[in-house]
Amino acid sequence: MNSERLPTTIPEYLERLRRSLAGADPALVQDALYDAEEYLRSELAENPGRTEAEVIAAVASSYGAPDEVADIYRDTEVTVQTALRAPPPRPRGSALGRFFGVFADPRAYASLFYMLLTLATGIFYFTWVVAGFSTSLGLSITIVGIPLLILFFGSVRVLSLVEGRIVEVMLGERMPRRPLYTARGRSIWQRIGDMFTDPRTWSTLLYFVLMLPLGVVYFSVAIGLLSIALSLILSPFALLPGVHMNVWLFGLDVPAEAPWLLPLLVAIGGLVLVVTLHIARGIGRMHGLFAKHLLVKTAQYA
Amino acid sequence: MAPGEEQDEAQLRKFQKELSAGTVSLALLAVLGASGDPMYGYQIAKTLERFGDGVLSGKQSALYPVLRNLEAAGLLDSSVEPSDAGPPRRYYRITAAGRVALRVRAAAWRATRDSVDAVLEGTCE
Repeated sequence: MNSERLPTTIPEYLERLRRSLAGADPALVQDALYDAEEYLRSELAENPGRTEAEVIAAVASSYGAPDEVADIYRDTEVTVQTALRAPPPRPRGSALGRFFGVFADPRAYASLFYMLLTLATGIFYFTWVVAGFSTSLGLSITIVGIPLLILFFGSVRVLSLVEGRIVEVMLGERMPRRPLYTARGRSIWQRIGDMFTDPRTWSTLLYFVLMLPLGVVYFSVAIGLLSIALSLILSPFALLPGVHMNVWLFGLDVPAEAPWLLPLLVAIGGLVLVVTLHIARGIGRMHGLFAKHLLVKTAQYA
Repeated sequence: MAPGEEQDEAQLRKFQKELSAGTVSLALLAVLGASGDPMYGYQIAKTLERFGDGVLSGKQSALYPVLRNLEAAGLLDSSVEPSDAGPPRRYYRITAAGRVALRVRAAAWRATRDSVDAVLEGTCE
């Protein structure tokens, strides 16, 4: 416990909490600040006769001083994470075990699914941003475009939260569960201005635009590798009577001329499948970090 | 403080933390189950505060992550509504699954409490 005096205003309290949480997951910091602000503002509204400093002094024993709150959040996060997530697969010792262990890792399948999904979400985000931005910017010459532009920027923030939830569920990267508060005590016009000067808004737009090319690449990689792997694995079915399937390899009709090659093809297919899962897991991890850098406000934890 | 006392204190805190792990979520479910209207975090914390001592009197900031947790488990439902006191508030309400869980857990709690009480009878004081 440090002997620093208690903060006297709510922004100061939140600032202290943010500092106590330095180094913690930025999404956790955002949630903790949200909860603390709700509590402090409610307490202040319940006690109209008291000053902010008095309210904060009272709250320090019921809700907790900033550094105590920080400890509680760090603590519960660890418990929640271990309780809610699928248990991480046992780390395997041998290199071979690590290589094939990916089959048992739910994260790899979720990432693979995310790669397929990004084509759809990428097209949607890209269209939304390009159409919304150009329409509202173009109409801004007349007066109609201005409210449209403001609405569009608001919608981008909501979409950013939605994408954050998808990324957290599928890729396992912790993302904010609450929208961000703008600074209190600012008029609605100042807040609208903040929305335009906030670098986070612009990096979110960039992320959404990049989602289209990324989605196309992810989708093609996933589909390409999966179809190679699955068709190799299924190639022995060409031997079954009544199945019209051809397996041609370098001008060789494999089932007819060299059926002994088929087990080899199945093995190669299995290998490609394992490599695909590894690639999916790696891309998932990278994309999670990428999303976090562009979608979560760094000022929250700097 | 003597080193022995300090150790006792730490052990007591650890024990309280272990006790509170399950009971806090039961208490939150009970508060929301008893209230007809949806409630927001601060209201829930203040309601619990009225019931005095023990592990429920811990720091109220610890309640928020548990609420979020119960929501993720489908036992609570929430919606955000604007407020004139400041930021928009998240209102929680109990779901049907939450009511079932409340009933089951309350029975488990009562059975545990009775048997612990029975074992404790005559040991202390």
